[in-house]
Amino acid sequence: MCVGLPGKVEKIKDGMAIIDAYGAKRQVSAELLEDLMPGDYVMVHAGVAIAKITSDDDEELDELFKDEK
Amino acid sequence: MSSETLDLARDIISNYSGRTLKIMEVCGTHTHQIFKYGIRKLLSSDISLISGPGCPVCVTPTGFIDEAVMLALEKNATIATFGDLVRVPGSEQSLALARSKGAKINIVYSPLDAVEYAKNNPDEEVVFLAVGFETTTPSAALAVKNAKEKGISNFSILGANKTMMNAYRMLKDSADAFLYPGHVCAITGLKEYDELKDEGIYGVVTGFTPKEILGALAMTVKKLEKGEAFEENCYKRVVTYEGSPSALKLIEETFDSCDSEWRGLGIIKDSGLCLKKKYSDFDARKKFNLPEITGHPNPHCRCGEVLQGKCTPKDCKVFGKGCTPEHPIGACMVSGEGACSAFYKYGGDF
Amino acid sequence: MEEKVITLAHGAGGRQTSDVINNIFKKNFANENLTADDAAVLPMDAGKIAFTTDGFIVSPALFPGGNIGKLSICGTVNDLSCMGAKPLYLSCAFVIEEGFPIETLELIAESMAKTAKEAGVRIVAGDTKVAGKGQVDGVFITTTGIGKIQEGVNTAGDLAKPGDAVIVTGDVGRHGCTILVARDSYGIDADVTSDCAPLWDAVKTMIDTTKDIHVIRDATRGGVGTVLYEIAEQSSVGIRLEKENIPVDDKVKGVCGMLGLEPLYLACEGRLVVFAPKEHAPAIVEALRKGKYTQNAAIIGEVTKENVGKVIMKTEIGSETILPAPGGELLPRIC
Repeated sequence: MCVGLPGKVEKIKDGMAIIDAYGAKRQVSAELLEDLMPGDYVMVHAGVAIAKITSDDDEELDELFKDEK
Repeated sequence: MSSETLDLARDIISNYSGRTLKIMEVCGTHTHQIFKYGIRKLLSSDISLISGPGCPVCVTPTGFIDEAVMLALEKNATIATFGDLVRVPGSEQSLALARSKGAKINIVYSPLDAVEYAKNNPDEEVVFLAVGFETTTPSAALAVKNAKEKGISNFSILGANKTMMNAYRMLKDSADAFLYPGHVCAITGLKEYDELKDEGIYGVVTGFTPKEILGALAMTVKKLEKGEAFEENCYKRVVTYEGSPSALKLIEETFDSCDSEWRGLGIIKDSGLCLKKKYSDFDARKKFNLPEITGHPNPHCRCGEVLQGKCTPKDCKVFGKGCTPEHPIGACMVSGEGACSAFYKYGGDF
Repeated sequence: MEEKVITLAHGAGGRQTSDVINNIFKKNFANENLTADDAAVLPMDAGKIAFTTDGFIVSPALFPGGNIGKLSICGTVNDLSCMGAKPLYLSCAFVIEEGFPIETLELIAESMAKTAKEAGVRIVAGDTKVAGKGQVDGVFITTTGIGKIQEGVNTAGDLAKPGDAVIVTGDVGRHGCTILVARDSYGIDADVTSDCAPLWDAVKTMIDTTKDIHVIRDATRGGVGTVLYEIAEQSSVGIRLEKENIPVDDKVKGVCGMLGLEPLYLACEGRLVVFAPKEHAPAIVEALRKGKYTQNAAIIGEVTKENVGKVIMKTEIGSETILPAPGGELLPRIC
C-alpha cells in the first residue's frame, strides 16, 4: 500500500528537503522529521519523508535470527 | 542480511511441514514484491499466503469513483490523483473514460504537488483524491494544512483515508498471523500492535526488500511453530516503537475518526478519517454539495472475498475472462498491488 | 526581435514554402539524389532490399540526448539495420503546427542531417505540411527508408531457437526515463540522457563477427520487455533472464524506484535485442563493447524450450518469477 523509496538528504530549506535516490532527485517535505541533516537517509512516500533509515542494510535480520542458527 | 541468514530463512519457509499456516500479507506493496520476486514459489505447501486488503486502490468503494467522476464531469473540477485510481471502474465509468470525454485528470506523485498546481492555476478547482492508509495520510494532511495556511482556496480533497487497526480485528479469523505493513508502522509505531497481541492478533513488521520479506516470513513461521503470542519488528531500520509522533499529531489535528466503507468488506467501525470541522472548506463533498452516492459494483466480482482470503482470484468466474488488467471489472485487477492483477500477471505455472 | 515562427503561409505552396524547403531542408540535407523533381531517382543493385516507414511524435520535441529529428532518422535507420540491411535512402515528411519556432525547426533539420551522415544514409525526398494551431503538437515527422540486405544475413522475429543467448546492446529504459523527466510531470530531476542513436555500425560489427544471428530487433516504445515477449511468441519459445545481468543506469533505477515503474518496459531508442547461438554470444558482446553506442552490451538471458511465450526472470534471491507481459498505459504506482 505504500511504496517507499530510500533516499539520501542533500539539502534542507524551509521544511523541504532535496533527496537523492541513485542520482534521481526530488524535493520532498521534511516537516515530519525533526533535526534532519544532509547526509541522513530517509524513507520517502508520496512526496513526504516519513522516517529516518538508521541502517542502510537489512543486517538487523542477522541479529534476529542469531538464535536460530 | 548475510547470505547465511538468507539461506536459513529460505530453509525455514521451504521446509516447514505441519498444520497449514495461514499468513496474510496486509500490504499491497508486499503483495507486489512477493510476486515480483517469486517468493510464493519458495514456500512449503503447508504455508498459505493470503493477500489482504492493504492496497488503497483495491478497497476504495465504487461510490468513491462515482463521486470523483461526478466532480470531474459535472462540477468541472480538475482531478489530481495517484496513477492507478484512474483505471478503477466506477458504477458506470472510470476516470480514464471520463478523461476521454474531456475531464481533466492530472496524475500526481504527491498531494503537495496538487496544492502547488492549484496555486499556479487559480481558475481551476483542484480536487485531490485522498486514498491511502497511515503512511499516505500525512501527505494529504500536509496538503490541506499548506493550502489553508497559504490561502489556496481552489484546492480540496475527496477523502477516503483509512486506518488499519480495526481492519486487523475484522480479519482476525482470516489468518494465523499478519505480515504487518512496514511503512504504516513507521508512522504508527508499535504501541497499538501490543494491544493487538493482547487480543490474540499476531504478526511481524515487514520491510520491502525481497530479503526482508523472506526474513519476516521465516520469523512468522518460527513464531507460529512455538505457539506463543507474538509481535516482532523485522524492519527496525525504519520502524521504531514510537513511530512518528509529528505525523500522528498532524493526522490528529487534521482528521476525525469515522466509520468507513471498504470495498468487499463493508463498513468497518472507526476505520476511516474525515476532515475536522475547521478544514471543511477543503472537503470536496461539502464544497461541491455532492449527493450521497451508492456505488453499484459488478455483481460477478469477488474482490471482497479475495481481500479476506475467502477465495483466491482463480476462484472468481470473471478472473482472466471478463476481468483482465486491460479491462478490469474489480479493483483488485486494476492496481499493480491488487491480488487479482498479481495473480494474472505473475500467475500460471511455469 | 520577434521570434520567427511557421505560419499557414509556409504550407501554402508559394514562395514561403520554397523558403522553408530551401533554407532549412535542402540546405541541411543536400546530396546528389535530392532534387527538385517529383520523385528521387535511385540506382538499383541486384539482391534484396529492406523497406520501412515510421511516424514520430514526441513531447517535448527537444530532450537531453536528442530531439525528434534525430529520433526520426535513428528509428528508421535502426529498423532497416535490424533486418541486416545497410540503410541507404530516406524520405521525410513533416507536419508542422502553426506557430512552431523556425529556429527549433532548423535545429531539428541540422540534427537530422548530422545523424543521417553518421548513419551513412541520404535523405532523398521530403514533404512539408503546416497544420493549424492545436491540430498537431509542435511537429510530427514520418521517415521512410530503403536499405540493402547484406549477403548471408537472415534475421527475423520467428528465428529464435532454444539454446540462443539473449543480448542487449546497452542499458535499458533510458529514453523513456529521459522523456519522463523532461516532461517534469512528477517533479523529479535526474541527469539522464536519451540513448537515441543510429545502430547500423553496431549491426555491421555483429554480422562481421558472425552471420549466424537469428534475431535482431530494436527496442523502442514498450522497451526491451515488449521485444522479449514479441520474440517469445513469434518464435514459440520461452525466455529466461538473469535479472542481475540486465544493465540499468543507476539514475534510471532511481526514477523507476520513485514511480514504481519497470525499466524493462521503458522506451529505448538506441538499443538492440539480439538472439544468437550461445557459442557466438561472447564474441558478439566483446565486439559490441568496442562500439560507440554499445559499450554496455551484455548477455541477459537465454532461450528455452519450456515456458513457450513467456519471459521468466531469475531474481537476486535465487527465485524465479514471470516478467509480467506488457499492457496498458504506464502509470506510476505510488500507493
